[in-house]
Amino acid sequence: MSDPALAAPRTWRSPTAEIRPVRALLIGIAAVFIGVFLVFPLVAVFIEALRNGVGAYFGALGDADTQHAIWLTLMVAAIAVPANLVFGIAAAWAISKYEFRGKAFLITLIDLPFSVSPVIAGLIYVIMFGSHGYFGPWLNDHNIQIIFAVPGIVLATIFVTFPFVARELIPLMDEQGTQEEEAAISLGASGWQTFRRVTLPNVKWALMYGVLLCNARAMGEFGAVAVVSGHIRGLTNTMPLHIEILYNDYQWVAAFTVASLLALLALVTLVVKSALEWRFGHELTGGPR
Amino acid sequence: MTALAQFRRDTDYTETKISLVAPFVDERLRVKTMNVTVENLVKAFGLVPALHGVSLEIASGELIALVGPSGSGKTTLLRLIAGLDFPNSGRVLFGNDDASAKSVQDRNVGFVFQNYALFRHMSVFENIAFGLRVRDSGRRPSEAAIAERVMTLLELVQLNGLEKRFPGQLSGGQRQRVAFARALAIEPGVLLLDEPFGALDAKVRKELRRWLREIHDRTGHTTVFVTHDQEEALELADRVVVMSQGRIEQVGTADDIFDNPATPFVFDFIGDSSALPVVIDKGSVSLDDRILSIDANGHADGPATLFFRPNHVHLAGQESGAIVGTVRGSRRRGDIRRLELEVGLARRLCEIDLPADAEVPKTGRIAVKPAKWRLFPRTA
Repeated sequence: MSDPALAAPRTWRSPTAEIRPVRALLIGIAAVFIGVFLVFPLVAVFIEALRNGVGAYFGALGDADTQHAIWLTLMVAAIAVPANLVFGIAAAWAISKYEFRGKAFLITLIDLPFSVSPVIAGLIYVIMFGSHGYFGPWLNDHNIQIIFAVPGIVLATIFVTFPFVARELIPLMDEQGTQEEEAAISLGASGWQTFRRVTLPNVKWALMYGVLLCNARAMGEFGAVAVVSGHIRGLTNTMPLHIEILYNDYQWVAAFTVASLLALLALVTLVVKSALEWRFGHELTGGPR
Repeated sequence: MTALAQFRRDTDYTETKISLVAPFVDERLRVKTMNVTVENLVKAFGLVPALHGVSLEIASGELIALVGPSGSGKTTLLRLIAGLDFPNSGRVLFGNDDASAKSVQDRNVGFVFQNYALFRHMSVFENIAFGLRVRDSGRRPSEAAIAERVMTLLELVQLNGLEKRFPGQLSGGQRQRVAFARALAIEPGVLLLDEPFGALDAKVRKELRRWLREIHDRTGHTTVFVTHDQEEALELADRVVVMSQGRIEQVGTADDIFDNPATPFVFDFIGDSSALPVVIDKGSVSLDDRILSIDANGHADGPATLFFRPNHVHLAGQESGAIVGTVRGSRRRGDIRRLELEVGLARRLCEIDLPADAEVPKTGRIAVKPAKWRLFPRTA
């Protein structure tokens, strides 16, 4: 007890900490904000969906158009996510491991979908592939339909979810540098062996993280898909579009039932994302070598 | 328990003690080594020149050090030998084979990187086994042979028992030795080390230095290592290559480099030295018009620089021809006292070593004479 270090006065406050009332106020504001804007609406979705009981909930899910919307959403995500996975790895690899002219421009381009309104993203495909668009007549002649059909929806979704995987990988791969790859090739590994045995394992958790966010956005995308889909029930309606149609038809329970599925997807994404961050945080940002 | 606390608990950073055993040739590790010839290598990165036509002969089994300040081109030369970079012109020969056209994979060099570059997601065992596992099926050893080789190497680098650890759970010195074992696993013809001890603290460095020498004697690899630490280079290497600004200044043994520096740069860079601007006129050397009792040794007339080492200086009496200066600073260094002397009209600072009990007059003016010196012509 005679150690002077232990006898230091306890009333000292860390230089960066606020006094108690200020702290309470700041935390209070944040809590109210989150409650009003996030938690309450989320709870409301489930309350509205279950308003007429569990039977009505599952009844709404059994509807043929609803089931088709779910199926279409899953299929679009199943195409768009792997496509962006491949693209994201390729872009991150090129940007972080090589020096070339126009690199900064390429990074800016990858970010473009984040800054462009999704409606614009949909419109550019209409202008390109619509019946009055640049390639419209040629596509018509060859009986290929892109706009108001599934290919258009996939294209618009790929555009909007373009940056997620690459954005997650570039900073990590940049931080990791090329030394491990150089070590691998000096030990005789081929380019593919180096990628599969060294590069990929080093970024696998960041990759999963990116895929997760990409998937959440791909399934939830509304604006871009709305422009190119044409809203044909049972054919080109994805879940977000279907929710809007049901809502406009005053089918509250059905609308909120489908909405609850998307909300559930968001919650699962959040949990998995947090778990990844908690377990592999140091590998997402680059850890000790 | 949080993941971090768990990680800390699993991690033991204490350095395993390296024991030094008498050198003996280990037949399991003995490899066919080769001599390396570097011919007129020129390399520029964009418009920035890195090497201006460097040539070097490295004998088979030799341990050679590339030493120089940062930016002298020593790492560039090492990477060109490895094939991690390609020269603008010139050749690298392994034995009598021109390696210039060969990729890194085909050169069969063991490269140890400055920051080790261990594969962080692989255990120590897998790191060392990597070079064997990536061979094509015809040349890949059996699983049992791989395990045996990894264990032999772990024994050599004295890390037995740590094969299941991950790089993040090792100390700096241990990682260094894993990187070393990994490079040796592929039975390289040449071993290349980039600042092998650069990231380690002084004590571990010293230990690993002796250990590297011992390993070299046991395995007999032709070894080239880069260092900015001249003490390391002189102590460890058979021959030292002193580099500056993309050129080789001198190649020689520690004795050559220390006793017969070929250029002013080498005299200045290796060991402590002082330099004074002098003029040679008809065979006599003068400093600010005072003729020094120094023999011009047949140097041509004209401006020159007089180099001498602090410990080659002794106090002079009243006789003429001594270097006279004012003491500006004094530090005790073991048995000697190092004085900082302000000399001449240009107030050039020189360092001189005197016995700790030498008396310095109150005026602070003393006269000294170098016992050994070198003159280099000075281009004004």
